[in-house]
Amino acid sequence: MKRRHFLKAFGSVSALAPLIGSGLLRPGQALAVDFNRAPFEAKTPADVLRLTGTGAAEATRDIFLKVPEVAENGASVPVEISSNIPGTTRLAVIIDKNPLPLALQFNFGPEAVPRLQTRLRMAESSRLRVVATAGGKHYTVFRDVKVTIGGCGDQ
Amino acid sequence: MSEPIKIRASIKGSEGEVRVLMPHPMESGLRKDPSGRVPPAHFIIQVSLSLNGRPVIEGALGTSVSANPLFAFQLKDVKAGDRVAVSWLDNTGQKGSAETVFSAS
Repeated sequence: MKRRHFLKAFGSVSALAPLIGSGLLRPGQALAVDFNRAPFEAKTPADVLRLTGTGAAEATRDIFLKVPEVAENGASVPVEISSNIPGTTRLAVIIDKNPLPLALQFNFGPEAVPRLQTRLRMAESSRLRVVATAGGKHYTVFRDVKVTIGGCGDQ
Repeated sequence: MSEPIKIRASIKGSEGEVRVLMPHPMESGLRKDPSGRVPPAHFIIQVSLSLNGRPVIEGALGTSVSANPLFAFQLKDVKAGDRVAVSWLDNTGQKGSAETVFSAS
């Protein structure tokens, strides 16, 4: 049974989480994407760092991170990241004060530039961290972003 | 999903830029709607980008990605005619995909 059909049949990823964790479900892709969803369910940045094994990330100036100092609309905060660290294979974004802080985690093959632009939600003013992985080591940079209108609220 | 993905690929120097917009509600399952109900979580959990059929970028998303996710990526040594495809999978098992060809800018 193909994994995707299996997922569809199940209808829920969390139902599959134990299987993924146990290695029964092995994704067939070439890039080593972490299919463990646990870090995405962690409620504090410390837990995200622990579950992704990046707690010892070293501060660096070699990650470019562009976010507005003041974000008027927390529902859509533009973020641009690129890593100048040679051999970067992964970029992750953590928004400390969001209810579920891990926003995304991308793996880059050798044909890709470790760089991305996207839009993220911020529930309130918060620190936004980027963690880059290169050669089995982790590097980090952060910015504090002020949010005028939160993006995970009741509107 | 009813609305199609928008994907654009252009060459800048020797690098190719891919911009993707994936229409999706990205419902976090934490938000109250105006009537006070909490719509169930419904969000993209995985995004993959491939170049000429080979995976080059793969990502996992959480609920902090804005509705209708927009991404820009860069690929090395791309030439006109190279095929780039994007696909996503959400937490309910729904999928979407689209592809395009790099054109010289």
